[in-house]
Amino acid sequence: QRFRFCGDLDCPDWVLAEISTLAKSSVKLKLICGQVLRDLLGEAMEYEKILRLTSDAKLELGDVKATIAVLGFVLCSAAKHGVDSESLASELQQLGLPKEHASGLCRCYEEKQSCLQDKLRARSLRLSRLGSVCWRVDHTLSSSELREVDEPLVHLTFNMQDGECGGTATIPMVLSADKFRVLLAELRQAQALMNSLI
Amino acid sequence: MLLVLSEEHKAHLGSLLQAGGPAIGELGRLAVELLRRGAAPRACETAARKLNIDVDIVQHGVEGLTYLLTECSKLMISEIDFQDSIHVLGFSDELNKLLLQLYLDNRKEIRRILSELEPKLPSYHSLEWRLDVQLASRSLRQQIKPAVTIKLHLSQNEDQTAQVLQTDPSTLLHLIQQLEQALGEMKTNHCRRIVRNMK
Repeated sequence: QRFRFCGDLDCPDWVLAEISTLAKSSVKLKLICGQVLRDLLGEAMEYEKILRLTSDAKLELGDVKATIAVLGFVLCSAAKHGVDSESLASELQQLGLPKEHASGLCRCYEEKQSCLQDKLRARSLRLSRLGSVCWRVDHTLSSSELREVDEPLVHLTFNMQDGECGGTATIPMVLSADKFRVLLAELRQAQALMNSLI
Repeated sequence: MLLVLSEEHKAHLGSLLQAGGPAIGELGRLAVELLRRGAAPRACETAARKLNIDVDIVQHGVEGLTYLLTECSKLMISEIDFQDSIHVLGFSDELNKLLLQLYLDNRKEIRRILSELEPKLPSYHSLEWRLDVQLASRSLRQQIKPAVTIKLHLSQNEDQTAQVLQTDPSTLLHLIQQLEQALGEMKTNHCRRIVRNMK
C-alpha cells in the first residue's frame, strides 16, 4: 500500500513495527514530538525530559531510541513530501496509530511544518556558497614598461565556502576597467533573468 | 592439519614450563588481551613480578601463546590436530589440556578479530542529490536543460570522502536500469544455486 508521507512508496517495515509499539504504550506523544522537532530544527534536544516522560510508560532504553527515530522519520518525511496534517493523520491511523496519538502528532507537525521545510531547504545539497565579496579600486600611475599608465584597476576577492570538501576558498582577481564593465553587464543580465523567475 | 612450530617459537613456548600451571592461566589471559587491545608492557611486568619470573620470559611466553592462538584460529585447526601440534613441546598432559581449553574458548573471538584485518574498499555511506534545470547561460538564453547533481559519501576505515557527480535524467534512468538488472541477477537460477550451496 502506498503512503504519501513515504513519498508514494510502501511504509518501511521498521516504521510499521515501531508504530504498533507506540500504539500500545501510553506515552505523552505530543511532548516527545516537541523534543524531536527541536532536534530536527537544530536546537538541542532535552533527552532527560524524554527519559522522564517515557519512564512513566515503562519503556526500555532501546524502545525510547526507537520512538525518537520513528517520530523523526515521520515528521521529516511528511515535511519532505509536503503532506498536509489531515492527510498525515489519516495515513498514520491507517497504519494503526490511535486517533489521539495521531492528532497530537499532527498538531505538532502543523505548527512547525514551514519551519521544518525551511530547515530542510537550507540543508539541501549545495556545491559551493559565496560568503562575501571584497573590492578595491586602484589607479596605476606608471610601470616599468610605460612611464604614464594612468589607468584604474579593480581588485576583487571572492570568499567561498566549498561544498565539496567543506572548507573556505579565497579567489582574488584583478580586472581592468573594460573587463570589469563586461563582468558587470553579464551579471546584470543574469540578475534580470533571476528576477523574472521569482 | 598439523601446525609446524619454528625452533624460536618452541623456545619461547618452552619458557612457559618455568612458569607452571597457574601462571599459564594468567599468561593465556594476557595473550588474549594482547589480541584484543594491543601490546601492554606494564601488564607483562606486573605478571612477571607476581610470578617471580624474568620479564623477558613472560614477554616471550605471551607472544608465543598469541602467535600459537592466532595461527591455530586462522587455520581452524581441530582439537586432535592442536593436541598433536603442541605435543612436540613436551608439556605435561595438564598443561596441554589447559592450552587446548584456552584455544577452544577464544577461537571464535580471535577469528572475529582476524576477520576485521582484511583490506577494505571504500564503502557506501550516504547519497545527497538535487534536481536543477538550466534556463539560460551567458551564450544561450531560453534553454531547458535538466541535470541531477549527486554527492556520493564514501567511508573507508573511518575516512570520509565525497564524490560529486552530475548527470542528465536519461543517463540517470540508464544507471537505475543497470543497477536493477544487477539486483535481478540474484534471482537467476545460477546465483540461487550458489547461494543455496553456501548456506
